[in-house]
Amino acid sequence: MATVTLTNIEKKYGAVRAVEHFDLEVNDGEFLVLLGPSGCGKSTTLRMIAGLESITAGDLLIGGKRMNEVEPKDRGVAMVFQSYALYPHKTVFDNMATALKLQRVPKDEIKRRVGEAATLLSLTELLDRKPAALSGGQRQRVAIGRAIVRTPEVFLFDEPLSNLDAKLRVRMRMELQELHRRLGVTSVYVTHDQVEAMTLADRIVVMDSGRIAQVGTPRDVYERPATEFVAGFIGSPAMNFIPLRREGSAWKAEDGTIAFDTLPFDTTGCDRVILGIRPEHIEIGAASETAANAYPARVRLAELHGADALLDLTVGCVQMLARVGGADHPTEGTELSMVIPPRLMHAFDPATGKALPQG
Amino acid sequence: MKLASALDRRRHLTGYAFVTPTILVIVAILVYPVIQSVVLSFGQSSIDGSTGYTFVGLKHYASLMENERFWNALTVTLIFTVLTIPLELALGIGLALILNEHFKGKGLARLAVLFPWALPTALNTLMWRWMYNADFGLFNAVALQTGIADKPINWLGDPTLAMLSMVIVAVWKTSSFMALIILAGLQSIPKDLYEAGRMDGMTRWQEFREITLPLLKGPILVALVIRSMDALRTFELPYNLTDGGPVTATESLSLYAYKVIFDFIDFNFGAAVVVIQFLVIFALSLVYILALRPKD
Amino acid sequence: MKTRPRIGLYLLVALSVVISFLPIVWLILTSMKTTAGIYAWPPQYIPSPFTLENYIKILRDSPELLLYVLNSFIVGVGCTAVTLGIGGLAGYALSRLRLKYAAALMVAILAVSMFPPVSLLPSLFQNFLEAGLLNTYQGLILAHTGLFLPFAVWMLASYFATLPTEIEEAAKMDGMGTLRIFLTVVIPLSWPGFVATGLIVFIFSWNEFPLALVLMSQNAMRTAPVGISLYPGEYAFPWETISTATVIAIVPILIITAIFQKQIVGGLTAGAVK
Repeated sequence: MATVTLTNIEKKYGAVRAVEHFDLEVNDGEFLVLLGPSGCGKSTTLRMIAGLESITAGDLLIGGKRMNEVEPKDRGVAMVFQSYALYPHKTVFDNMATALKLQRVPKDEIKRRVGEAATLLSLTELLDRKPAALSGGQRQRVAIGRAIVRTPEVFLFDEPLSNLDAKLRVRMRMELQELHRRLGVTSVYVTHDQVEAMTLADRIVVMDSGRIAQVGTPRDVYERPATEFVAGFIGSPAMNFIPLRREGSAWKAEDGTIAFDTLPFDTTGCDRVILGIRPEHIEIGAASETAANAYPARVRLAELHGADALLDLTVGCVQMLARVGGADHPTEGTELSMVIPPRLMHAFDPATGKALPQG
Repeated sequence: MKLASALDRRRHLTGYAFVTPTILVIVAILVYPVIQSVVLSFGQSSIDGSTGYTFVGLKHYASLMENERFWNALTVTLIFTVLTIPLELALGIGLALILNEHFKGKGLARLAVLFPWALPTALNTLMWRWMYNADFGLFNAVALQTGIADKPINWLGDPTLAMLSMVIVAVWKTSSFMALIILAGLQSIPKDLYEAGRMDGMTRWQEFREITLPLLKGPILVALVIRSMDALRTFELPYNLTDGGPVTATESLSLYAYKVIFDFIDFNFGAAVVVIQFLVIFALSLVYILALRPKD
Repeated sequence: MKTRPRIGLYLLVALSVVISFLPIVWLILTSMKTTAGIYAWPPQYIPSPFTLENYIKILRDSPELLLYVLNSFIVGVGCTAVTLGIGGLAGYALSRLRLKYAAALMVAILAVSMFPPVSLLPSLFQNFLEAGLLNTYQGLILAHTGLFLPFAVWMLASYFATLPTEIEEAAKMDGMGTLRIFLTVVIPLSWPGFVATGLIVFIFSWNEFPLALVLMSQNAMRTAPVGISLYPGEYAFPWETISTATVIAIVPILIITAIFQKQIVGGLTAGAVK
């Protein structure tokens, strides 16, 4: 097991910078998730750790040793690919044994290690089959087994669950959690699925356009997003954003329907802010409600999702999404009042996108 | 540019090592000989290159310009190309449209189309030469027996008929190649385009004009380029069908160059002929690319 | 569109099939006639009597005709093997190893493939004469390899480009070097591409004429198309022998084409559509 240290890592393709200013320390035994939309550089970063992409600038250390120029096989890392990448012409056993054979591990030893991994992943019955004869979940387990038998210092996962159907994905996610608990190997996991990230990660690295937007625990990135991008990316449905303008001492939306006398943020030097509120944090009440921060709203659309319902609200000229309980949810056309609880609000500087500190 | 990473350097090194044998063979067989041909065409030397090479400048080209047989060969080649390509294209499109329909025995039909292409041109030509045979050939047998002709037609002995006979063999052999490429193009056109067309009320002819033809432009261009190259360098067809005759009525540039080099044993003059042929082919491919390039 | 034009369609199909097969069928019929039958009037459309005498005579009296077929076979197999070997490596490097000049090399390879073979003849003949490669198998194999490598590189490169990259990356993580990945992972995954390319290259080589004519001038070294074309000398054609020899020489190609028509058509057309 080992730490992984990335110092000022940069990747350029010609003039295009895919990743830049990337500084990160992955702790020994940690499960770290790289999260972001497609094209944000998360896979490139993982592939640089693996050695499948060269590093343009910066230093990569695994277990304290500089690995920039080291061939993938000598880095002590194993990788699980999105499409599983099993050799279609080899049996499950041979798929798992290939790396060991190439390292000239003795036959008995190979047999023992593959056997152990197979037991761990309940693949023992399938060792003689070819990948084509396996289900998606079984293939995924073989891909994981192939990584395990090498007893690597670091596991790398490149969107390993995205080819599975929804049900299987949930189960494999839990198996991965269980596996990590048992083996405790440092893991770097790339995904664009925030549920995977939230459930698996010790820490999440949210990436945006080749840079780190925020590093933190799942709770951190959800409750205290560092930028407007993180706030909008984490959480589903996405956070509502309302641009506000300073008018005297008060803050008002475009047409003045939404207005705050004060904001609980340090707004020194700003005359515009972007206010963020998650759909699940909006409260709704009767139209007669007169609490502070209550605004008259109209339900433009209501969607029942089962346990809860999504309301598309019109407040003046502002559109907001609210998530409410599914039972007896307000129907389309209902007039009601929408309450924004101040302690659950976020605010961002429109110029930098950075979150404003609580004031 | 220097590669920053040793990983990239190793990958590139392996990559270029993989490419090297191919490059060597291509240079030895294709590139270097063409350069040598150009050099030969500007000089005077012995067949085996044993006596020294003297530079004579444009002498061979100058005498080419005054050589009637060369101009004849060039004209024959161009006429042959101009006659065969449109016929092949039209037949190719027709055959492709037929093969794109669903019917019983489609496999056999596709095989039938493939055979003429797959067999050696030299031997195809012999088969046709036998059918064209004035005394014992199939065509004259049928023509005489049905009364279409009252005396044997001299298919390969009359200058005009010989050219037409040669064109027929070429079209027979290569319409199939056109058809296969165009068929693949047809099959890559999404079906829902036609369904959308039908919803818009297109007739079948409009479908062909508005959907099929524009989307076939790429495959047609490729087929045209490949076939024109072939037609401009046609060699074994006249060699085996007529030996360029009667007299020189079907003598193509390639055949003429071959005769200059190996019958008259004049490598330098022959080299000048092949260089000109090379330039003609090069010019034509440029014309195609410019004419059919997609307009923005 | 439903049923009415069907008859017309079938007539067109039948016509195409008849025209395509006519010369071949007529040739086969000729080869099964007696010499008298070939030159008879009124003409025999159906051989009477049917005879295999011409075949027996060739096998007995003209071993060189069989030798031509053997030569074509040796050159075809040799050229195909070498072309697939080095063309496979090059195609792999050009489509997968992200070489800086890959695109330029591919275009250059395509451009040189347009050179007319006859333009190679004067210098190729001299070079082969000097190198002692005239009238040798390795000589014509080398020449054909050069001629058909561009096609093979393009076809194989475009085939490799359709394979998922992750398996090769997994192999790299497993510790394989590039050559081992090519040999043990890429080749097993891309054999359909190799089969199609190999078949077409073999047919190209079998059919090639001008280089075979010039570089194999000794009777015993001639390939089938050249040997049969030159068989009788300039004018008097013994058609019973020519037709029979031609049938023998085209049978291998007919069989290959019939069995592998899907692969051949797929391979031929893959590049043009993309």
